[in-house]
Amino acid sequence: MSEASPALSGKEGVPPSGKVGTPSPHGRHGLEPFFATVESAPDARVAISVRTGRGFLNLRLNPHSRKAREAAERILGQPMPLAANTFTVGKHRVYWLGPDEWLIAAGEERASDLGSGLTDALAGFHAAVNDLSGGNVELLVGGAHARTALAKGCSLDLHPREFAPGQCAQTSLGRAAVLLAADGEPSTYTIIVRRSFSDYLCRWLENAARPHGAGFSVL
Amino acid sequence: MTAAQPNRLRQNGRIDRTRPLAFSFDGKAYEGFAGDTLASALIANGVSLVGRSFKLRRPRGIVGSGAEEPNAIMQIGEGAAAQPNLPATQVGLYDGLVARSTRGWPGVRFDLGAINDVFGRVLGAGFYYKTFMYPRSWWKHYELAIRKSAGFGQAPEGPDPDRYEHMNAHCDVLVAGGGPAGLMAALAAAKSGARVMLADEQDEFGGSLLAFAASIDGAPAAEWAAAAAEELRDMEDCVLLPSSTVFGYYDHNFLTIAERCAGSPDSSVGGGVRERLWRVRARQVVLAQGSLERPLVFCNNDRPGVMLASAVSTYIKRYAVLPGRRAVVFTNNDSAYRAALSLAGAGAEVAAIVDSRPGGAGDLGLRAQALGIPVHAGHVVTDVAGRRRVTGASIAPWNGESWENVESTIRIDCDLVAVSGGWSPAVHLHSQAGGQLAWDDSQLCLLPAEARQANVSAGAGNGQWSLGECLADGLRAGAETVSRLGLKTAAIRVPGADANAGEKLIEPMWRAPAASDADRCPRQFIDFQNDTTVADIRLAAREGYRNVEHVKRYTALGFGTDQGKLGNINGMAVLADTLGKEIPEVGTTTFRPAYTPVSFGVCAGESVGELYDPVRTTAIHEWHVAAGAPMELVGQWHRPWYFPRDGEDLDAAVARECLAVRNSLGVMDASTLGKIDARGPDVVEFLERIYTHKVGGMQVGRCAYGIMLGEDGMLMDDGVMARAGEQRFYLTTTTGGAASVLSWMEKWLQTEWPELEVYLTSLTDHYSTIAVAGPNSRGLLEKLGCDIPLDKERFPFMTVKPAVLAGMDVTLFRVSFSGELAFEINIASNHALAMWRTIMEAGVEFEGAPYGTETMHVLRAEKGFVIAGQDTDGSVTPVDLGMNWLLSREKDFLGKRSLRRPDSLRKDRKQWVGLLSLDGRTVLGEGTQLVGESGEPAAMCGHVTSSYFSTSLGHPIALALVAGGRGRNGETIYAARPGLEPLPVQIVSPVFYDRKGQRQHV
Amino acid sequence: MLLIECPWCGPRAETEFSYGGEAGIARPADPDALSDAEWADYLFYRSNPKGAHRELWNHDHGCRRWFGVERDTATYRIERSYVLSHTGSDAATGSDAATNAGTGYSSGNGD
Ligand SMILES: [Zn+2]
Repeated sequence: MSEASPALSGKEGVPPSGKVGTPSPHGRHGLEPFFATVESAPDARVAISVRTGRGFLNLRLNPHSRKAREAAERILGQPMPLAANTFTVGKHRVYWLGPDEWLIAAGEERASDLGSGLTDALAGFHAAVNDLSGGNVELLVGGAHARTALAKGCSLDLHPREFAPGQCAQTSLGRAAVLLAADGEPSTYTIIVRRSFSDYLCRWLENAARPHGAGFSVL
Repeated sequence: MTAAQPNRLRQNGRIDRTRPLAFSFDGKAYEGFAGDTLASALIANGVSLVGRSFKLRRPRGIVGSGAEEPNAIMQIGEGAAAQPNLPATQVGLYDGLVARSTRGWPGVRFDLGAINDVFGRVLGAGFYYKTFMYPRSWWKHYELAIRKSAGFGQAPEGPDPDRYEHMNAHCDVLVAGGGPAGLMAALAAAKSGARVMLADEQDEFGGSLLAFAASIDGAPAAEWAAAAAEELRDMEDCVLLPSSTVFGYYDHNFLTIAERCAGSPDSSVGGGVRERLWRVRARQVVLAQGSLERPLVFCNNDRPGVMLASAVSTYIKRYAVLPGRRAVVFTNNDSAYRAALSLAGAGAEVAAIVDSRPGGAGDLGLRAQALGIPVHAGHVVTDVAGRRRVTGASIAPWNGESWENVESTIRIDCDLVAVSGGWSPAVHLHSQAGGQLAWDDSQLCLLPAEARQANVSAGAGNGQWSLGECLADGLRAGAETVSRLGLKTAAIRVPGADANAGEKLIEPMWRAPAASDADRCPRQFIDFQNDTTVADIRLAAREGYRNVEHVKRYTALGFGTDQGKLGNINGMAVLADTLGKEIPEVGTTTFRPAYTPVSFGVCAGESVGELYDPVRTTAIHEWHVAAGAPMELVGQWHRPWYFPRDGEDLDAAVARECLAVRNSLGVMDASTLGKIDARGPDVVEFLERIYTHKVGGMQVGRCAYGIMLGEDGMLMDDGVMARAGEQRFYLTTTTGGAASVLSWMEKWLQTEWPELEVYLTSLTDHYSTIAVAGPNSRGLLEKLGCDIPLDKERFPFMTVKPAVLAGMDVTLFRVSFSGELAFEINIASNHALAMWRTIMEAGVEFEGAPYGTETMHVLRAEKGFVIAGQDTDGSVTPVDLGMNWLLSREKDFLGKRSLRRPDSLRKDRKQWVGLLSLDGRTVLGEGTQLVGESGEPAAMCGHVTSSYFSTSLGHPIALALVAGGRGRNGETIYAARPGLEPLPVQIVSPVFYDRKGQRQHV
Repeated sequence: MLLIECPWCGPRAETEFSYGGEAGIARPADPDALSDAEWADYLFYRSNPKGAHRELWNHDHGCRRWFGVERDTATYRIERSYVLSHTGSDAATGSDAATNAGTGYSSGNGD
């Protein structure tokens, strides 16, 4: 465009060049401006982090088709959770989303490679593999008051007896739909949110955590 | 008593005399102590006149000591932080508190509106309805005057600076009320291993134990309460909420609690939160909210200085303030005798106890007499003297007949009349939960009967009056919930406490007789806040009102911030008496949330400002923000509206952006479109049923414009679909329809056609979409470097191909929403900003421009492309839109049958057409009504759905729905304009630009 | 706020769900064969009972499954939630059929 191209004007929040940060195969999660400007409290009892560089796949298949499931599990190298609202941890994290739907948070492997592997393995079955790496953002919320902060906007019972490590749930946090998972350590949660809601959700989390002291980091 | 606080007792009370607190009331400075409420501090300072009544502007004083207070309704704080309409009895005193009376202008001591009282005979029940109805056109003038003089507090002057928050909670047992019964219930449940929440509206647990002299297990009852609360506080999974009112009981044991956090030592979180709304899902609920004392009904019973007997005791015992020096106690039951004993113990003179019961009281009567207090059994107070403060009471013997006139024989000077008309269990929550109520004819009150949800009532709220009974009933209720939860009940002993042995029963005295009959005697108030009197209720009955709900609305009985806590039962009884019915036949009005007023702030919680509603943003959003683009809210999305350059306004920017697209190149962020991956062996069959066109005929790599209808035949959504494989489609929806369309498709798949093997997955967030449009769009892509040929032969209009563009993986669509040669680039969102920046840099050569939603709207309107949701409203069929070519004759699809309904075939249905302003320059307002003739009145024949100025064409264009419109091409109709002559407009084709559609095919 | 039991996810707050109208309204097999009155009956007429009502709910903030709920419209009491049997006209079986015969999927806690 012309020399007045706003991209080159160097306004706040955007570096004054067309390039943003270090080029990454994972691109941007979109929360760079938020984490660049948000301030951490010195004595944070709620820790909020964004985890970068993780790819995501959505997997649909009929769990009663043992062959299809086993084909997928061979590629994943770990079992798929069949119990509702649980997840398995192996090389990847595999979250139950519905009776025939899973979300795979890919480990080291590139999601596109994993996706191709699954697609090939599931050829001939009624199944669907979709790369959602661009559509999901992964946040980690921990700290002594994490549960209290989340309870301000989550109608689930987060008592550790009711929502134990290994359990996950798709629910609402604030007014955003999220996948919430109880991690191994007490009062530590993984939140996977749709990208378009992630800035709102971070602002919501910042506000909810503020009375307890909120700390922010990029992982 | 100090001079500063003339009514403060020297000893006792649960106040901290080492912590004096300064406050002001109506501009005058006072001092109280930590532990005071605003009400107790005002009484300590001898302030007896605290407000004016709503309608009659009569001077009013403090009546109660809690949620029931009808008169001392205050504006607390100033400016933006002000809170209107708080009862002074529930406002904890803090240093610097600024309070104002909310009623009475210019002040409570001089009130212009008091003239209402002088001429008040005309202000009876239904006065407003009757007087201000005629002439009807004057209502707007009446309304202004009425609203001004009826002020109920003032709205704060700016956004509330304080923090409010919501908290979701779950528990096994929620105990509402932390008095003796509630504490016992909570102990019983918590010790049995249940997760317990205990909420009480006072800042200390103990309820009535804080206000009355009693002992439990030989120790002062308040100490027992403190120890019980401490024991609960130490237990895991037990949440104690002081200063917290359970105000709503909703379906499936969902309850809401308003916690006033400021100054509360137990505030669970703190952090500068002013109020917190707890949203609690409880498996079981114990309702132990106690009971509310009723006033007695006699002439001028609203004068300042007439106070509930229990409030008198509370002020003396809990707050160490003396509400009067010489008192008359008027009662129909034994409990008020305690107030007399409290008064005497605090050094006040009790001039008389007037007891309507011929036999007087039981043991308490003897104790009063032993102190030398004169007791007038079988007497009533008929009237009080004094205007701004009671100066005396008139007393007459009573034969039990309420409606026979009597002459008073005794007059007693006094400055306080302590009244008790009996006790009403606080059955509000039980009733909100759908529970039944039963009238108890011996205790003269409504008691909770069968519950509809998982709740148990206990204590005074369950008709248990003595301390011993309350403790035992609380334990019973707690144990009941424990057994319902399937837990093992822990063994707990009922602590030793007094039972009310030797008390006599209450006897009815619903209205004290007077010297003249009920309609002529001085006012006898039922509802203080709404100035509803005995005469008003009798008038309503005479005018034919029988149903208590109707009487309520006609007389305003039970409206207002106190919701009839004091007046409802007395009102029911007077109505029953007037109608010659029994009280249970009349019944009570419905109890609805909220039990006490709840601030808007706490209802809103965190959902204010930027958190009011989620803002959804695209992966390119930060570029738009940096570019200074104003945002348009589309659903929850923030989309760039236009990209101003050099101080351009909307019109200038849009004109430039439109020309850029038509003449060279424009780039738009279209990422908000809904995107769905649909695949499976039956995907074609499924889509045939959903979409109106023949899906099966599409070859792999082809795109098609598709619409879907509701079963009623109305257009629901539209978008481009692409066939990505034999069994795989990529569907797009409108921005606003993304979620609902996916849910709609899943509904058919899951409920109606589960035999179809199809998986639907949302790709909306994963893919960003960048539209490049204009004659130079192909040149731009070639410049970026594209691994596939882009010429029209090998990549024709309405096809799709995967490609590598500028070194990045994309999916390229040759589709156009502008009518120009155009491409849509789908790219994973984490790379979208990089692609956008690359395009922006490459685009400079073509003098292209980013464009926003407004330009997109103009461009598509020039082409006559419909926007579902703007040009349609759920009542428009594809036939109305001229889309017959999209309707397959060879197959069924959702909504098809409805297109043959007689209503769908009406000749005068509104049809979608173009409009041209005949003056050549007026841009019609969207929504403008269209009429067939220029004169008035004219029948409406349609409305404008879209309207813009088209820079490409040099004149305004509009799209409209017009009755029978397509058959009226060339006709002139008129656009109605408020305050202006109707504007003649011509009906034309909705396609204004490139009618043959050649430009997009190049 | 209702507490609705998703057959897969268990009890969740009403805000996670959307309402789908009366259950058991089967789409006519051949709409073209229907008279206007018969089509209008399918399109517009619902039983609207006071009392037990079978209705569709979607756990759209959760597992995205549609399922049936039997709810008393007067008391709002929910008698049961159930996985839909092979057609939307669940009344045909009237059972707690925990299997979705069309796809063979079963619920997490239904079977
Ligand atoms: Zn679910």
